[in-house]
Amino acid sequence: MAGAALAPVALVALPLLYVAVRAWQSGLSGIRDELFRARTAELLANTVILAFGVMVLAALIGLAVAWCVERSDLPGRHWWRVAAGLPLAVPAFVSSYAWSSLGLAFQNLGGAIFILALSTYPLVYLPVAAALRGADPGCEDVARSLGHGPWRTFVHALLPQLLPALGGGSLLVLTHMFAEFGALALLRVQTFTTAIFESYELQFDSASAALQSIVLMLLCIPAAWAEMRLRGRRRLARTGRGSARAARPVRLGHAATPILAAFGLLGLLSLGVPLATLAYWLAQGRSVGAGYEQIGPAIQGTLGLALSGAVLTSLLAIPLVLLSVRHRGRLAQLAERLPYIVHGLPGVVVALALVFLSIRLIPSLYQGLGVLLAAYAILFLPLAQSSLRASAELVPPQFEAVARSLGRRPFQVFVSVVLPTMAPGIGAALALMMLEIVRELTATLMLAPTGTVTLATEVWSYTADAEYAAAAPFAALLVLVSILPVWIFTRRMLHHRS
Amino acid sequence: MKNTSRRSFLRNGFLLGAGTLLGAPALRGAYAADAATLTLYNGQHAKTTQKLVEAFTQATGIRVEIRKGSSTQLANQIIEEGDRSPADVFYAEESPPVAALADKGLLAPLSKDTLGQVIPGYTAGDGTWIGVTARCRATVYNRDMVQESELPASVLDMATAAWKDRVGFVPTSGAFQEQLIAIKLLKGRDAALNWLKGLKQYGRIYNGNMAAMRAVERGEIATALVNNYYWYIMANEVGADKIRSGLHYAGPRDPGGLITVSAAGILKTARNRDAARKLLAFMVSQAGQEAIAGTVAEYPLRPGVKSPFDLKPFDTLNPPPVSPADLGDAADALALRREAGLA
Repeated sequence: MAGAALAPVALVALPLLYVAVRAWQSGLSGIRDELFRARTAELLANTVILAFGVMVLAALIGLAVAWCVERSDLPGRHWWRVAAGLPLAVPAFVSSYAWSSLGLAFQNLGGAIFILALSTYPLVYLPVAAALRGADPGCEDVARSLGHGPWRTFVHALLPQLLPALGGGSLLVLTHMFAEFGALALLRVQTFTTAIFESYELQFDSASAALQSIVLMLLCIPAAWAEMRLRGRRRLARTGRGSARAARPVRLGHAATPILAAFGLLGLLSLGVPLATLAYWLAQGRSVGAGYEQIGPAIQGTLGLALSGAVLTSLLAIPLVLLSVRHRGRLAQLAERLPYIVHGLPGVVVALALVFLSIRLIPSLYQGLGVLLAAYAILFLPLAQSSLRASAELVPPQFEAVARSLGRRPFQVFVSVVLPTMAPGIGAALALMMLEIVRELTATLMLAPTGTVTLATEVWSYTADAEYAAAAPFAALLVLVSILPVWIFTRRMLHHRS
Repeated sequence: MKNTSRRSFLRNGFLLGAGTLLGAPALRGAYAADAATLTLYNGQHAKTTQKLVEAFTQATGIRVEIRKGSSTQLANQIIEEGDRSPADVFYAEESPPVAALADKGLLAPLSKDTLGQVIPGYTAGDGTWIGVTARCRATVYNRDMVQESELPASVLDMATAAWKDRVGFVPTSGAFQEQLIAIKLLKGRDAALNWLKGLKQYGRIYNGNMAAMRAVERGEIATALVNNYYWYIMANEVGADKIRSGLHYAGPRDPGGLITVSAAGILKTARNRDAARKLLAFMVSQAGQEAIAGTVAEYPLRPGVKSPFDLKPFDTLNPPPVSPADLGDAADALALRREAGLA
């Protein structure tokens, strides 16, 4: 297993190598000058405030939505349960375009936090809802019987059970925000990532961008460490599921109407506004109709890349996750954490790293699909890991021991026992990967075979020339193509512990 | 979920995955098979280049594969690729990315004949790149918020307290770097730095030219410093009869009216150098310039070709005496922005 885990670790180390080479060029004094500039402090403040703001707001929304659909008698909650995951299908650059059109009020740090929290809260909502279903209401019964009120029961008996899911989802949002770029361009917020993109957009010297990338990765280290702490050394696997009863839904009574209204408002803000904007582009713009002949190739390109990228990334993530679940040594933990740290790198750095390395080491593969898929794996590995992890922890080591004792070889055990038990996690990972790859732009532009078109590259190409009406069908298709993986992801997340 | 259905899910998943993983390189092989084609790294507007390449292929039979991206990112990519770059020709929206490649010795000299096709003064000093189309810096203003007569003749006068919260600018756009360098060359480094500091204090930063243009059109801000063609793009998108913003040109020889160019060059490492030369020659030929002029509101640089857009005549522009070659790769712009606290 350790051998199989070497591949993803080596892959993820590639951009680190590149950043190190480039940063080295600026020398020690260059490093010092760059890190202690006033501008660095300003960018640091913006980045941290944005990331934490989005994380906290997304966690609050996610937790509240999850509790309402899982633990209350909210009317239509079975429907809301799926609908609440849908904002994931809207790419952040579409929603930020929509909101920035509504006026200056949203074009600042506060507005960016609000808009990005609306589009990322499902990353918290889904794991928390899944955890709520798996939580044993017996703990709460005990707390109530000891005289705790409903609030104290929630805080002391239920919340600790949700903490790994809540923390994992929140930290995913946090590291996502460190690397966010597309949405911020229209919202007039400057962070390390926008500064790095700017360096590559205006300069022909990559040393200072490499230094800024190092700061971004340093920011990810505490996040990666915190996630590990939250999971702690607990072992969650159990061979028998016990006899936990289903939790009795809390009656909302008079509160039902305002809560329903809040759900409606959430849907309107997170889905209605961006979709209305797409409709407006189509209705108002005069560039409508351009590029229809590219729709077929773009869909084909998008689906082809997304499918192969999702399969490859999930395959690479499996050994990493199993390694860290089974072997809790330092090295295994470090190997599993490394992708989370590299996740803080903006797409442009990862893409240039692969340009630099692949053309020198294996020129025949340059601008072939292999290198592009490797870039996807480097960019999105942590998302696959966190989807797989919950399932992997539920595989009891005893199952494998029994299978081995019955004469199966280790690989047979892996295929016939471990993989099937992890299937829900694999389904979730594949869906989440597809969702991310479908909207990936920078690495696709630099590394895809020349002439490849995807929905995302077409949207970029038309919006760069301000032909919003021409971009609208591609953006709408992007949302449509994303709905299937979101639906699969939502179902996988919400069913695998029941 | 039962384990049997999980197994079949996995089996199907693996088959599908293996199929795509194996099928993909085969597809790649099909792409690469045609070795006689030119590879063009294109940072110019997609539609413009597409029209140009269609006309070129029709005229010469040479096929061109277009790799798209933003001009500077493509230049950075070529620099990282070094002497193994698959690119034959680089066509950029601005001249500094092409000039940067020339500085690093990555471009081959162009033929005298090709260089002589465009208006003098819009090619590289060492003949490694050529301007293809030109546009000028201008101020767009919202007619409901400001009268054209109120706008100053010099762009330097817009970075002042009188224009507090009424000027949008895009410090991260390529053309802004060029304008900044032009001010430095014409008025000195201190003037350029003061201008930047003034803009930082009194102006409003936008992260893209089109975002600034839209903000003016929507009445979010009174004016913005952009290229003239953004106004034409907006006019085309909303309709010339409905547009609420106007286009103001700076006074004679003011850096506010700087002319910048889109530019192209041939890589030293080009594998199809003959075909690449033909493409460059076609870009500045009558047919090539007409193909380009129809798609974008820029001035064709070949004398005698007229843009179908209703542009202010090129010979009435009266720009400052700074040529694209003088601007070079505009590297000092970043140092200036850093000193002003804008980067």
